[in-house]
Amino acid sequence: MNRLTHEIFKSAIRTWLILAWMLVILVPRTTVYAAFGEDLEKPKPEFTREGNVITAKLIPRAKSTSVSIHFQVSGGRLVSVEGMDFQEAARPGVDNKDFKSELFAIKIDGVPPDGVAKVSVTSAFFSSSTEYWVFNRNLKESWMNADAKNISLPDMIQKLVVSVKDGGPFDSDGAVDGRITFTGGPKDSFWGYALGTLFIRFFGIFLVLSILMIGMILSGKVFQMLDKKKAKREIEIQVQPEVPVPDIQPAESIEPELAAAVGAALHLHFSGRRSGADFQFITPAISPWVRQGRERIMNARSIPTNRFNRLRNR
Amino acid sequence: MSWDQVLELIKSILLTQTGIPNLDIGQVIMILVSFFFLYLAVAKEYEPLLLVPIGFGIFLVNFPLVPLMGFTEHGNPELIQAFYKYGIQWEIIPCLIFLGLGAMTDFGPLIANPKTLIIGAGAQLGVFITYCGTLFFGFTLKEAASVGIIGGADGPTTIYLTAMLAPQLLGANALAAYSYMAMVPLIQPPIMRLMTTPEQRRIKMRQLRPVSAREKLLFPLIASIFIILLIPAVAPLMGMFMFGNFMRECGVVKRLSDTAQNAMMNIVTILLGLSVGATMQADVFLSWKPMLIFGFGLLDFVICTFGGILTVHIMNKFLKEKMNPLIGSAGVSAVPMAARVSQVEGQKADPDNWLIMHAMGPNLAGVIGSASAAGMFIAMFK
Repeated sequence: MNRLTHEIFKSAIRTWLILAWMLVILVPRTTVYAAFGEDLEKPKPEFTREGNVITAKLIPRAKSTSVSIHFQVSGGRLVSVEGMDFQEAARPGVDNKDFKSELFAIKIDGVPPDGVAKVSVTSAFFSSSTEYWVFNRNLKESWMNADAKNISLPDMIQKLVVSVKDGGPFDSDGAVDGRITFTGGPKDSFWGYALGTLFIRFFGIFLVLSILMIGMILSGKVFQMLDKKKAKREIEIQVQPEVPVPDIQPAESIEPELAAAVGAALHLHFSGRRSGADFQFITPAISPWVRQGRERIMNARSIPTNRFNRLRNR
Repeated sequence: MSWDQVLELIKSILLTQTGIPNLDIGQVIMILVSFFFLYLAVAKEYEPLLLVPIGFGIFLVNFPLVPLMGFTEHGNPELIQAFYKYGIQWEIIPCLIFLGLGAMTDFGPLIANPKTLIIGAGAQLGVFITYCGTLFFGFTLKEAASVGIIGGADGPTTIYLTAMLAPQLLGANALAAYSYMAMVPLIQPPIMRLMTTPEQRRIKMRQLRPVSAREKLLFPLIASIFIILLIPAVAPLMGMFMFGNFMRECGVVKRLSDTAQNAMMNIVTILLGLSVGATMQADVFLSWKPMLIFGFGLLDFVICTFGGILTVHIMNKFLKEKMNPLIGSAGVSAVPMAARVSQVEGQKADPDNWLIMHAMGPNLAGVIGSASAAGMFIAMFK
């Protein structure tokens, strides 16, 4: 790029970036949400129970297929798990987009008073960076990180284990009564996911097309080689083998007149063949004399078959 | 029957069975919008094959009480709803269009110069930047992906991805994609001139090598193997595209190839256009979101053009035989319009410079690139 275009280009980019940033900063996010209506993605879990395990099946945000989240408790009895709309727990500074599923209200009893229950939340949908955040409306800081242990299991399954103390900050009922109400949900950084995937997917396209390019270059070389071989073979077929020259001894005793006669005969023979191949029925201009002669000959020939003549001669 | 009863009956008929009392301002605005698109298609000849059915679809569905996009009492879809449901919701029509496109495409320039595939990848830059930009404005991840793909300048891919991820944005996305595709000769040249020097625009490229029929025949198979193995989610689109191309190149099913290129393509284009237009009912379309989509769509095209040319500049740093950076803009797909724009701009710099065949390589790579980007998004949201 020359200097002028470079400067123009730089200033254009700068202007655009400033405008974009102004839009991002000046347009309040809440107004934007209000303008575009409610979030269309609202995962609604369906719960099933099998023994001590309750399973929530739901289509999470930004996914098209359902996932399963399994809840299990040790140190107490898992009574129920219910879905809870994020709106009930909406607080400034917490973005519901970070929660890919609804929140879960887990009820546990049979915990020794002031004791601790361990809640395990397992899913193939979690990643090693997934956190579990707890909501307690009775506290001033309603949202807190549960500091869950994130354990990797076979088949890419992650298990989050949270220790919940009866009457502790994670217990929404706040009472030391052997019963725990534990509300929260698995959290992944929305922007981390969005930007991370952006780079991975964009370079993924480069990778896919680069592999295809390499494949095409290699196959192109093979095809070119095959075509060259084929062309070479065709050339070889086209080249006729040299006809061996017959060893004819010159007849010294032949007379010049005879040689001339033979030569003339051969010439006439071959030129006759040549002209025969190209012979065309081009009729020269016919004179009246010739036409009359031909008519006479034809009439004479066709007397036996010419019906008109036969009738005339009758 | 008394006069009062007759008047009441007439009033009841007028209110419940005629459109006039039910017509609202939003519908009038949408009918005017449909006139605008019909004008662009008919008078300006901007993508008329698509904008005529889309425009007429918008026109038809914005009359009140019309039984076109709803369901009957028995749950059967009404006329255009049936086209939409079975054609677009079931993701059939975009794939059939890809079949027809495959049957129409000669991959020769791409096979002769496979390096241009990288340009097709670079030109997807806007898809991902727009995806991020739209997230700032409150779009969900799926919506952002469907808006981002507009920059790929590939109508069927946009429709396929939007129908899958954000069907509520289908009308706006399709319209933005096709409108900007039609406006490629207006959008791209200033960016091309801005990003290249006159010397670079005058670069002459070596004539492409001849490609044998056998190579062309095997290309769809080889490309399918690589692409579908790496991105299985793109199999419906890419599979149909390559199948169409295989029918063309094998030469033994000329009837099928002709049908795919002509009759079938025309039929599905009519159904697609009407269905897409019919999604633009006033209550859905008249909001800020479509306006933002149009804004982001334009930005998307600009960045994709920028990305394609930038990729050529970067490639030229490593290549012995330099490529003319003008062919980079053709990486945005929009076949063959974008390639023609490269040719025109190249000839402005040097009347003896023939870039069209060189630009067809990135142009076709753009189709594969945008379909791959769509496949990436589908896999991401699976």
